[in-house]
Amino acid sequence: MVLKEQDVIEVKASPKPSKNKRNMKKHLLHLFLLPALFFYVGFQVYPILAAFVNSFYSFKGMVRQDFIGLENFIRLFTEEPFNNIFKNAFWHNIIYFIGTVLTKLVLAFALALLISSRIKGREFFKAVFFMPKLLSVIVVGFLFSLILNPTNGALNSFLKMVGLAEWAHPWLGDPKTALYTIILVNSWYGIGFAILIFLAGLQAIPEEIYEAAKIDGASGFKMLFRITIPMAMPAIMIMTILTFIGSFETFELVFAMQGSSGGPYYSTDVLALFFYRLAFGSVDGGEAIGLGSALAVILFLIICTATAISLFFFKRKEIEQ
Amino acid sequence: MAELVLEHIYKQFDKNVTAVSDFHLHIKDEEFIVFVGPSGCGKSTTLRMIAGLEEITSGNIYINGKRVNDVAPKDRDIAMVFQNYALYPHMTVYGNMAFGLKNRKFPKAEIHERVIKAAKILGLEELLDRKPKALSGGQRQRVALGRAIVRDAQVFLMDEPLSNLDAKLRVQMRAEIAMLHQRLKTTTIYVTHDQTEAMTMATRLVVMKDGFIQQIGSPKEVYEHPENIFVGGFIGSPAMNFFEGTVGEGTFTIGETILSIPDSQMEMLRSLGYIGKEAVIGIRPEHIEEAVSGNGSGTKSSVTVLVEVSELTGAETMVYSSLEGQKFVARLSAETLIRHGERVELAFSMEKAHFFDKETEMRIRHVQEAV
Repeated sequence: MVLKEQDVIEVKASPKPSKNKRNMKKHLLHLFLLPALFFYVGFQVYPILAAFVNSFYSFKGMVRQDFIGLENFIRLFTEEPFNNIFKNAFWHNIIYFIGTVLTKLVLAFALALLISSRIKGREFFKAVFFMPKLLSVIVVGFLFSLILNPTNGALNSFLKMVGLAEWAHPWLGDPKTALYTIILVNSWYGIGFAILIFLAGLQAIPEEIYEAAKIDGASGFKMLFRITIPMAMPAIMIMTILTFIGSFETFELVFAMQGSSGGPYYSTDVLALFFYRLAFGSVDGGEAIGLGSALAVILFLIICTATAISLFFFKRKEIEQ
Repeated sequence: MAELVLEHIYKQFDKNVTAVSDFHLHIKDEEFIVFVGPSGCGKSTTLRMIAGLEEITSGNIYINGKRVNDVAPKDRDIAMVFQNYALYPHMTVYGNMAFGLKNRKFPKAEIHERVIKAAKILGLEELLDRKPKALSGGQRQRVALGRAIVRDAQVFLMDEPLSNLDAKLRVQMRAEIAMLHQRLKTTTIYVTHDQTEAMTMATRLVVMKDGFIQQIGSPKEVYEHPENIFVGGFIGSPAMNFFEGTVGEGTFTIGETILSIPDSQMEMLRSLGYIGKEAVIGIRPEHIEEAVSGNGSGTKSSVTVLVEVSELTGAETMVYSSLEGQKFVARLSAETLIRHGERVELAFSMEKAHFFDKETEMRIRHVQEAV
């Protein structure tokens, strides 16, 4: 190509923007982050910091009074009825976590294995299992309250219809079954997401590895426990951590199905419900913002510690791999 | 040690995709067979059928006389090395090598002994506690080989094992695998698309294209007597040059250019009725040389051409040019003074030329020669 004089002039006419101008442009771009930053600080960072600060103060109604050090924490752990309610709710959170791992994660892994084994209609099943997640938790809670209604709910009516009347049960009304029923509802709700994560994990395992294992004489059982599960460990770990966080944060579903006191007789009470009652008023406290903040801080620390520990082991394992 | 018989193997994917057609081969004990061909020629599929990872549509596979069509991969007594190594990333080097033995319930002491022995052979002793992630490509490939050799399997199957390595390492590992074979003498089937690998490693080559075997023979045989135009062009680097033309009495006419055909070749062409017919000659780059006065007669035919590109590769110079519109390359000595843009006289060693039928693309030869 022959370069004409015109071209040269044109090139000269558009000099590189000066350093100052470029810097200004960069700073201008930062401005676009401001709205997000505003909401993040306002609704995430500030409440956490505020809760930390408030947990060291006494309150009268919504008004902060005196700095009382660790008094709120001490009261939570030693004073009746707070200490008993805390223990009860904490224990329920643990059961909630274990129950969800056993039902949701184990089942989701099995289903993901099945779906990844090239069965017909895999896309259909993926969609079906994921669908509940599209609903609001409140809607799910309300729907299941209707389905599980002891007198005219769909489940008991169905059991009676097929001649299993003796299996009919006030699932949410019996303190023995209420918590487990909620765990199952939660698993139904969240299984699709777990399946998707596991599927992604399973699909990341190269086919050649299975072929090598086949030639190495691994049985189906060995293949699962020595190849598939160890190699899907990143996905399993992530889902376990998410389930742990979810279990200790759980609020909406229990609230929608059993109300703020985790009935019947506190049999489904969890820490988040206890916090809600403490901070925003109900039978056991009422506007005890200081106590509520202390509980919120404890919850925050439980989740942080557990997540940090698991991430630490997870990272170490990853590096080893 | 093992003998393999592949009896008229076919592989069909779906209804109309035939990946392998009528693959028929008898592999003798201790052989190092290389399946070579371009991508999609069916070489890997054939290897996977031998491994039992792919079902056979029709035909039979025998390992040491035993029909293994329906035998599971683990019971075929084969070991395989994969293109991407397929190491178990969560196991150590030791664990990777021991896995197959553990599954076969070998006693612990024997597993240890075998793994250590294999590690010694492959120079992996220092790396036994490492995970594959902490290994270089070459080391990973050695572990993959180690996993195969600890098993003491009857047959080694290798599916493009060197294709993920850089050029230098590939040459080194090529030699290591060849030495390993000399040492262990295990019957080996090796798949590659790299004709240099094929030529240097094989005791016998199986050249494949579009699912069909094109030629079976020792590297020398295949190089010197390619069965058809495809094999001639595929084996050898740079590839064989081909020129279309017409056979005359003692001559081969390419457009305006006339090359002379030596008597020995002429006799065959005459008796097979090729005089006056169109044909293709194939001539390897090393059989074209700079003409010096006096060698234009006899079995050499010299032509004057314009040099398009001249590449000095170090030990030799490749000269690219065209004759009557048909491109060719000549492999000349590094000392040549030929530069691009020059008109030079090149001599074709016609006694080394290969004659192919233009229609069938098959080598023109007497029938008895084929036996």
